[in-house]
Amino acid sequence: MRVTLESYGGLAAAANLRRRPNVLNTDDLPESAAAELARLVAAAVAMPEEEPDGRARDAMSYVITVDDGGRSTVLTQSDTAKSPAFAALLAWLRVHFAQQR
Amino acid sequence: MSRTRPMNCIIPPYILEKLMESDDRDVRQAALATLLTTARLRGERSVRASFAAAAAPGNGRRTIFDCEQTESFTNALVARSEDGPASLDDSVNRAFDALGLTRDFFKEVFQRNSVDGRGMRLEGFVHYGFMYDNAFWDGRRMVFGDGDGDSVGDLTGSLDVIAHELAHGVTDFTSGFEYHNQSGALNESMSDVFGSLVKQWSLKQTVEEADWLIGADVWTPAIEGDALRSLKAPGTAFAGDPQPDRMGKFVHAPDTFFGDWGAVHSNSGIPNKAFYLACAGIGGFAWETIGPVWYESLKASTADDQFQDFADTTFQKAGQLFGDGSPEQSAVLAGWQEVEVPLRSVPSGLARARSFAFNGHGGAGREDGMAALTRQIGALSDKVTGLAKEVAQLKGAGVR
Repeated sequence: MRVTLESYGGLAAAANLRRRPNVLNTDDLPESAAAELARLVAAAVAMPEEEPDGRARDAMSYVITVDDGGRSTVLTQSDTAKSPAFAALLAWLRVHFAQQR
Repeated sequence: MSRTRPMNCIIPPYILEKLMESDDRDVRQAALATLLTTARLRGERSVRASFAAAAAPGNGRRTIFDCEQTESFTNALVARSEDGPASLDDSVNRAFDALGLTRDFFKEVFQRNSVDGRGMRLEGFVHYGFMYDNAFWDGRRMVFGDGDGDSVGDLTGSLDVIAHELAHGVTDFTSGFEYHNQSGALNESMSDVFGSLVKQWSLKQTVEEADWLIGADVWTPAIEGDALRSLKAPGTAFAGDPQPDRMGKFVHAPDTFFGDWGAVHSNSGIPNKAFYLACAGIGGFAWETIGPVWYESLKASTADDQFQDFADTTFQKAGQLFGDGSPEQSAVLAGWQEVEVPLRSVPSGLARARSFAFNGHGGAGREDGMAALTRQIGALSDKVTGLAKEVAQLKGAGVR
């Protein structure tokens, strides 16, 4: 399974346009981490997306793309409108990519 | 800049929950004990927070919450309140102080009582998310991440950034500029303008002394001299800065989050530059000259106003505040002309005179347009007077 995280907007939106997406492949993860990520992905996919909050200013939006077995799933949510499951997946990915730096 | 709060000093709840699944009994017990302690603390602080929220609103009283590197507001802990003692956490104190300075700026300079003009309580949430490299206003609260330490430092480290976020609230409660395309760029620009003014006011800096930068303290901490944006010179804040400084360079982008809602953070460079030029044309303290013009114009604007609408409003407000034909009004006109935003409400003669008087080097010029126009009118009057005398002499000669 391949998971891609893209981030858009924010206070530094003009600079963030050049930000490269973060990508991971579960084949490169320990078995337990891969299993946990799969569980988080499944939960995020199953939970309905939150309606965007039009009052937010400088908030960031996220696109998480999951490619698995020839099938691609795209999840799109933002700082002020994200489901708990999406937030948990995003937090896991943030920690993972920070550790890779 | 220093990071006084290591990111590993708090164990996020989801990691504790993971540790609860450990095969090691000691690890499970330690995780359980920590979770129970944290839950007890949350309960105590939640009760305190609910009392704080239930109190009568007034005078922009501040409360700073600690998200403990989670993205939850409901579980955030009260870290400092208006009457409480200083925190041991520098981020908390910086946010507290910056919100106070911004509140005081609006009160003392514009006689505005907090964000909504009616004493709305100010809530700041620090340590939001894990290495979250952003700050935002969500419609009722200001949120600050710790930054990733590389591209962005702790967002509480910048007074102008904090003032920028609070100013989004002020805009929401006044013009309500819609957050897309030109009105969205005006929304962003108002936050940059007031963010910079709050910093200048707190440091008592003149137009010439101010750096006119946004986020210099937090943007790429390892690189000196750069910033998120420059009002004085849009497009030069950092290597690759895409901000335009005139309409000829306007950035066209989709009105989606992919396109930053029509490049609102880029095109804000145009009104930002107009504001800077108007201030530079007058000199002195910007919050005493063009700052009030912009604030009164914000209050007089409507949600879907475009650049030209706002430019017209600033010209009218400058006339109301300082007088028609005043140096301030001429400086406002010159600023908009330099960034290629034409004004509809200006007499064509004055606009041309303003163009002739403008020095063309990024300033408003020392000779204001009304003075030039007045001289032209004076010269014409002299000619008419001279002609009238000649006619009178001829008539007199004819009579004889």
